Amino acid sequence: MSLTDLMSMAKANRELSRKILNRVAEATPIDCFQCGKCTSGCTALKLLELKPHEIVNLVKLGFVEELASSDIIWTCVTCLKCTERCPQKATPYHVILALRNLAVEKEARVPEEFMKALSHIMEDGLIQNVQKVAVTETEIYDRKTLGLPEIPRINPKFSELLFKALEEGQK
Amino acid sequence: MKIAVFWGCRILTGQYAYEMSIRETFPQLGIELVDLKEASCCGDPVKSLNRFAALYLASRSLALANQTGLTDLLAPCSRCHFTLSETKYLLERDAETREKIEKLLKEENLELNPDIEIWHVIDLLHDKLGLEKIKAAVKNPFNGLKLATHSGCQTLRPSDVGRPDNSENPRKLDALVEALGAETVDYAEKLDCCGYALTFSRPDAALSLAGTKLKAVQELGAQGLVTVCPDCHLMFDAKQKNAATTVGAKIELPVIYYTQLLGLAMQIPKEKLGLQLNQTPVQRLLVA
Repeated sequence: MSLTDLMSMAKANRELSRKILNRVAEATPIDCFQCGKCTSGCTALKLLELKPHEIVNLVKLGFVEELASSDIIWTCVTCLKCTERCPQKATPYHVILALRNLAVEKEARVPEEFMKALSHIMEDGLIQNVQKVAVTETEIYDRKTLGLPEIPRINPKFSELLFKALEEGQK
Repeated sequence: MKIAVFWGCRILTGQYAYEMSIRETFPQLGIELVDLKEASCCGDPVKSLNRFAALYLASRSLALANQTGLTDLLAPCSRCHFTLSETKYLLERDAETREKIEKLLKEENLELNPDIEIWHVIDLLHDKLGLEKIKAAVKNPFNGLKLATHSGCQTLRPSDVGRPDNSENPRKLDALVEALGAETVDYAEKLDCCGYALTFSRPDAALSLAGTKLKAVQELGAQGLVTVCPDCHLMFDAKQKNAATTVGAKIELPVIYYTQLLGLAMQIPKEKLGLQLNQTPVQRLLVA
């Protein structure tokens, strides 16, 4: 469902709006005056119609749940141009990340690759398995054949601590 | 000079050419590399899921660096460099979060050190080592070669947390390439993104971003594109064919890590720099 469809059925939730605005410790989205500088330089605008200034405004208006369950927050390419250029330090990038965090908490649809990366980190500390690189069908390289040192193991206690951190983050 | 290195997942698990070329060239320039005792994620992909856990992962990485006893830390991946820098910046300003994190770190006897300075390949070579030392190490200059540079988004922004080069007009990577005898070109798309972060949610759009930039660089007449980030390199090198198909263009553009180029100029054998791993026609740069 598009964001507009979700919006037309929605009621503003001021409390959730305050919650998100407070969580964005890196920025002051409340100060956004809709100049549109973020959107004019947004990498995802041309391709995926992301309009960062609209996201910030919708959060301020209280349409937070609608955004958290919309696909649009996952189109940000994290190029950080909006963060750099925002004259009000409202930094839409950080607002979008806060909305993504909320999507996880609300168990809204989250792109699978993110969850896969997290479960791999839980397992051995890294986002993916150590790859073999096949340049041609017969030419296959790995760390050993390239003379690179073995990757040191992660402390067995790590996954338990990361789990604690994940819990703390959802408080 | 001795420096701790946080390689990050992408380099350790697949972008071997970057690691090989750094391990070969840096010691020859007088930079001794010290690996951390453990390898783990910087926290970047977790930012989208859980802010506190991402901060914890980055802090843990900084604390592992502190274990080496060194105060200089190299993070050759731009996403890791940004994540570590931003976390350091936040922890300096948010005592409450810092205390919560320190408590978790203590369970492994890890400790943060506020004096740690985080370096990228760009500023370590350009600012700390200096161009003169690089010029002095060049035995085989790339005279007459015309190259485009791609510093990468997260290398340049946001300047509030301290970045290796200017956010709107980066020049250091160009200066580093020129120190090897090559020419660099300016182009309108220089600040455009490689698209990597979208591979998680919109892989087609990610390829389209990479393809659009590659096409622009090729049309410019540049003989190659120089990278300093494993994510950008992956998009422009290993995914070049797919990216070209996505934008409907024929693209054959050599893509090379700066540290590979540096090693070639220092006359280090190409196999030691991982040139066999590049999937774009980098041999063209050798005969030029």
